[in-house]
Amino acid sequence: MATKPTRREVLSLFRSLMRTAREFTDYNIREYTKRRTVDAFRHNRKLSDPAEVAAAFADGKSQLGVAKRQAVVYSLYAPSIKSVMEM
Amino acid sequence: MASALRSAILRHIRVPVTNSLSLSGSAVRSMSSHGDDHLDKQAVIDRVIHVVKSFPKVDPSKVTPDVHFQKDLGLDSLDTVEIVMALEEEFKLEIPDKEADKIDSCHLAIEYIHNHPIAN
Repeated sequence: MATKPTRREVLSLFRSLMRTAREFTDYNIREYTKRRTVDAFRHNRKLSDPAEVAAAFADGKSQLGVAKRQAVVYSLYAPSIKSVMEM
Repeated sequence: MASALRSAILRHIRVPVTNSLSLSGSAVRSMSSHGDDHLDKQAVIDRVIHVVKSFPKVDPSKVTPDVHFQKDLGLDSLDTVEIVMALEEEFKLEIPDKEADKIDSCHLAIEYIHNHPIAN
């Protein structure tokens, strides 16, 4: 079973997710990733049971893997026209 | 005979090189693409304040160059990370995790960015 992650590890995971969000070329996915990580971390803020914290952390790590792979795949098919929100 | 012809032709074709660009003793790199290494401190302060004020959870009237994110603005560590990310985007920097963990007030952010050679 995974041990409870330290505060630094949690913040590092948060930062990695935000950095990965920046790599998306699609405005919508980028904003969604940022919004979702903020919401998820805030929702789990008050967890105190070590098993629950470890489970949430592991879930976050797998989501980070998903996001990183998707960033690569999305970049292969990036449209050349920017979204209107970015102008 | 061919070599004499060749050297005669080359004498006409070869462009004489002059040493007109000598910067003897001068320490200024006039062709350097870095230009001014550091941003103007006041400009850095203004931009950092602007980024912090734009953060939705922050009360803009409380923001000063010395404000502490968690103690004065009532933010938590997740918000601090978000603000540091926003500053990274504003100044086009990549702040390593170790340094980013130390930035917990406007003052430290301004110091770090001002001392960073690539900040833009």
